[in-house]
Amino acid sequence: MKTKKISIWLVVAAAALMLAAPGSAMAGEVYKTALSLAITGPTSDAGNPYSKGVEDYFRYVNDMNLLGDDTVDCTIRDDKYETAITKRNFEEFLDMGIVFYLNYSTGSTLALKRDFEEVEMPTLPASYHAGNIEGSDYIFLPIASYSAQNIGLAEYVVDHHEGGTPKVAMYVHPSAFGREPVKDVEKAIEAGLDIEIVETVEHGQDLDVTGMLQRWRSKGVQYVISQTVQSPVATMLKGANILGLVAQSFGEKGKITFLGAHYTGGNDLVALAGDAAENFYWTTSFITTSESSAGADAQLDLAERYGRDEKTANSHNYAAGILVAEITTEVIKRAKAKGKEITRENLYKELLDMNGMNAFYSQTAVGPVTYSKDDQQGVDTLQLYVVQDGEFRAEGKPFISEYPEKIK
Amino acid sequence: MMSANRWMATGNYFTTYRQEQRIFATHTDRLIFALFLVVLFSWPYFIELSTKHMLVVDNILIAVIAVYGLNLVTGFAGQISVGHAAFMGVGAYTVAAVAGVIGDQHVLITHAWPLMILLSGFTGAAMGLIVGLPALRLRHLYLLMATLSFQLIFQWVIGSMELFNQGQFMYVGRVHWFSGEVGRSQHYMFWYYALLVTVVVSGLGVRNILRTRYGRSLVAVRDNDRAADAMGMHPGLTKVFAFGLAGFFAGIAGALQAYLNRGAGFETFTLHESIQYLAMTIVGGLGQVTGCLFGPAAIRILDLQVESLAQWAGGILPSSLDLATGLRPLSFGLVIVLFLIFEPRGIANWWRIIRSYVKLWPFRY
Amino acid sequence: MTYFFQLVVSGIVVGSIYALAAIGFVLIYKSSRVLNLAHGQLIAAGAYITYTLTVYCHIPIYLSFVLSMILMFFLAMSVERIFLRRLIGEPIISVIMVTIGLMSIIDGVIYLTPYGSENLSFPSFLPSQPIVFQGIYISYTQVAGVVITFLLIGVFSWFFRKSTVGISMRAVSDDQMASMSIGISVPRVFGLAWATAGLTAAAAGGILGNIVGLNFDTLHAFGIIVFPVVILGGLDSLPGAVAAGIIMGLIQQFASGYLDGNWGLSGTASLLPYIVLLVILLFKPHGLFGTHEIERV
Repeated sequence: MKTKKISIWLVVAAAALMLAAPGSAMAGEVYKTALSLAITGPTSDAGNPYSKGVEDYFRYVNDMNLLGDDTVDCTIRDDKYETAITKRNFEEFLDMGIVFYLNYSTGSTLALKRDFEEVEMPTLPASYHAGNIEGSDYIFLPIASYSAQNIGLAEYVVDHHEGGTPKVAMYVHPSAFGREPVKDVEKAIEAGLDIEIVETVEHGQDLDVTGMLQRWRSKGVQYVISQTVQSPVATMLKGANILGLVAQSFGEKGKITFLGAHYTGGNDLVALAGDAAENFYWTTSFITTSESSAGADAQLDLAERYGRDEKTANSHNYAAGILVAEITTEVIKRAKAKGKEITRENLYKELLDMNGMNAFYSQTAVGPVTYSKDDQQGVDTLQLYVVQDGEFRAEGKPFISEYPEKIK
Repeated sequence: MMSANRWMATGNYFTTYRQEQRIFATHTDRLIFALFLVVLFSWPYFIELSTKHMLVVDNILIAVIAVYGLNLVTGFAGQISVGHAAFMGVGAYTVAAVAGVIGDQHVLITHAWPLMILLSGFTGAAMGLIVGLPALRLRHLYLLMATLSFQLIFQWVIGSMELFNQGQFMYVGRVHWFSGEVGRSQHYMFWYYALLVTVVVSGLGVRNILRTRYGRSLVAVRDNDRAADAMGMHPGLTKVFAFGLAGFFAGIAGALQAYLNRGAGFETFTLHESIQYLAMTIVGGLGQVTGCLFGPAAIRILDLQVESLAQWAGGILPSSLDLATGLRPLSFGLVIVLFLIFEPRGIANWWRIIRSYVKLWPFRY
Repeated sequence: MTYFFQLVVSGIVVGSIYALAAIGFVLIYKSSRVLNLAHGQLIAAGAYITYTLTVYCHIPIYLSFVLSMILMFFLAMSVERIFLRRLIGEPIISVIMVTIGLMSIIDGVIYLTPYGSENLSFPSFLPSQPIVFQGIYISYTQVAGVVITFLLIGVFSWFFRKSTVGISMRAVSDDQMASMSIGISVPRVFGLAWATAGLTAAAAGGILGNIVGLNFDTLHAFGIIVFPVVILGGLDSLPGAVAAGIIMGLIQQFASGYLDGNWGLSGTASLLPYIVLLVILLFKPHGLFGTHEIERV
């Protein structure tokens, strides 16, 4: 009997020690945040570098004491792109008492929208789906929505096209992710954007799209705007390359100029399409490491500091991960500076105040992050890139698409 | 005669088939089952589980209901179905589509939810009957293909129809109980009880179906369809019937999932999920009703354990080595294969061994 | 008309890759009656092995193509030896489910390599200029793919018709009992069937990787589309697999060429194979060329 009692006490003491230990070791406060994303399964090619970007930046914040004695503890969980697991992770994060949440896929962001509202959790997803912020106060897109990106590309086409109304085909993912921007581009056309959508094609898992490209050629398509992921775009570009259809300069007569939004491009596209990726136009709100800039150096330094391979270091998904971690850190910093307690509510207010003179300039984005009550898109600025010799080169100045405002 | 002592039975003393068909062979079985139920219903009063684990428990129970159906079709009728998640999807989208049309706060959704769940069971069953139709002509290999194409066509239909919001998440409102709306804090506990009742009722239901003429013909057709044919059963219709039943349970499970997750999105009903349910059935024990309880629990817990193992390994290994990535599918696949090779009768067989050991205690074989 | 012929040519190109993938599937089914659901994963493994040999070991691609076929030959053989040999005599349904487990295992192993979540493409080794004939375009890579496919198909038909091993494989597929009684080692034949299936998977993976690049999701999706192809051709018919592969390629190309963009249809090419599959199951379950077994239920 006695030994039993002693052993129980031992267990209790050990548990108490374990609970007490972290508290005594660290002086400052620990702010809990979390990220749930697809490190395995579908879209893991993007999720993997994204998670590393988030992880590395928070490590940097803690190592460099950017928040003074305080540290950020960001739990990163793999959800295999399964909404059910994302939900489980999120409930766990709530139990942990997180103050800020980073999410990933379109599906899970939409599925958890109501939960975010109920628990008033400021959330930054990696999906720039315009539907995410519809009817939501707490979801903030880090950069311009897919719709804004596609409209931006269409505007660029209008501005740089010579002779008449440009004929455009849209090549989109067979899901809401691909379809919604098409609807918005159509709305922009109604509002006066001068392009003609000849055809909208939802791709399947086709291995050969020569037929589609021939048809486009016979219909006189001059531009193709794609809103999907890299793999199908690579197939299309390879096909176009065989047919000798790819315009060598923007809007070259008799040829087709290929353009695409955020998830169609990046180094993954060059990796998949090889030489066929040449002269592909891509828009995003992130910097690339192939153009030297202070941001590119910062991104490469961060990757080197934490021993990331070259591929990760140069990935725009790594940059995207850094951006959301930067925003998180920034709102914590600002709330701290004002002497506020770090709570969801206060961080949410800081996000809403992030505009005008208070806009936040990130290292890895091409423009300022601005949020307000009626602006839940962070970086509105877009930059067009074009592939030359296997690298993305900036084409023109950063711009902001106009029609998204007009069709609101 | 039954054994003299209705509490202890050291062996089989059945003298009629009716006796053998009893759900509980002895009073002890009945007592243990009752105690087990008491524990299941009362533990939340004594142990407080984190929300995460409560959700895991709820998900296990949903999988149990789904696996009842899959086990009927795969374990008892011997047909592999790789479209079970799609049948669940039919159930979930029945609720979601109704909610989409009449509004997700409509009284029918929030108050008449048991009816909605039952309705989803019937739509699931209808789908099951349709997909099972080729069973009238085909044997298992081809049926596998039929379920596969159903799975993929389901995904396409959900992904492209406006009625289903093109696969984007569709919301389902919070339900009401006698005490008013079930809020966030009680959500998972409330559904635990709802699920538990469903699990118990459908479990007893399955046991009873298996006692009937239809249930026994399932097994007969699985074991030898020609012999079954010769004995006057219709193998084709029997399989179609099994698919209908599987669809029914899947539909109910899907509807419950829609309520638990507060909506439906197509990511929850993919081929990958179908394979998960198949794995649960195998690991639990094909053709064993008790297996339907063990399988889902085992697979879900394994998943959690591997997750934390991967996390721990990711912390101490160099970041260039993506051990965490591969560990989950690897362990999942290994579990299926190892069970099939070394314990094809699943965890239910361990349970049987324990029982027969206890039966003879204190004597041994 | 050029448009029509372009679709035909593209259909044949795509179809011949389907055919090559389907052959491996049929080989296993024909000899052991096992539906190998992990065949897509074997193809993916073949693609990644070819890539590793070419890019990391700097072996010329022609050689690494052959090498990866040899490697996959032994790899698939050992898969059979380790996992499936033990299950001979078990109900066929357990064997099929083992292949489902294998799917996950191979996925896991591929994820353990650095490739699992990467996008890669082969260095181009053929001229990037297309061959143009009467306004119809085709790339050298595609031509190479078709040529290799038909070469392999030729080798296999010779192998099954003339060689002793091939004949014993056919014997086993006809009647296991009878072939055992004349001294054929049935387990060895099973092993050989898996090995040759692995070999074709490597070839299919190599060609596929060269044409569309390496992306795990794409390779996965490709593994699934093989099922409608083999059902269309008949599960146990090699000529059926080839014919069905090409028919499926043509169906897809015509669907995206003539259906998409009209009547508001889109993405039909990825759905049609499964509709064909259902129709075939309902009306002609043994496919175009499959053996009609007299075991109606």
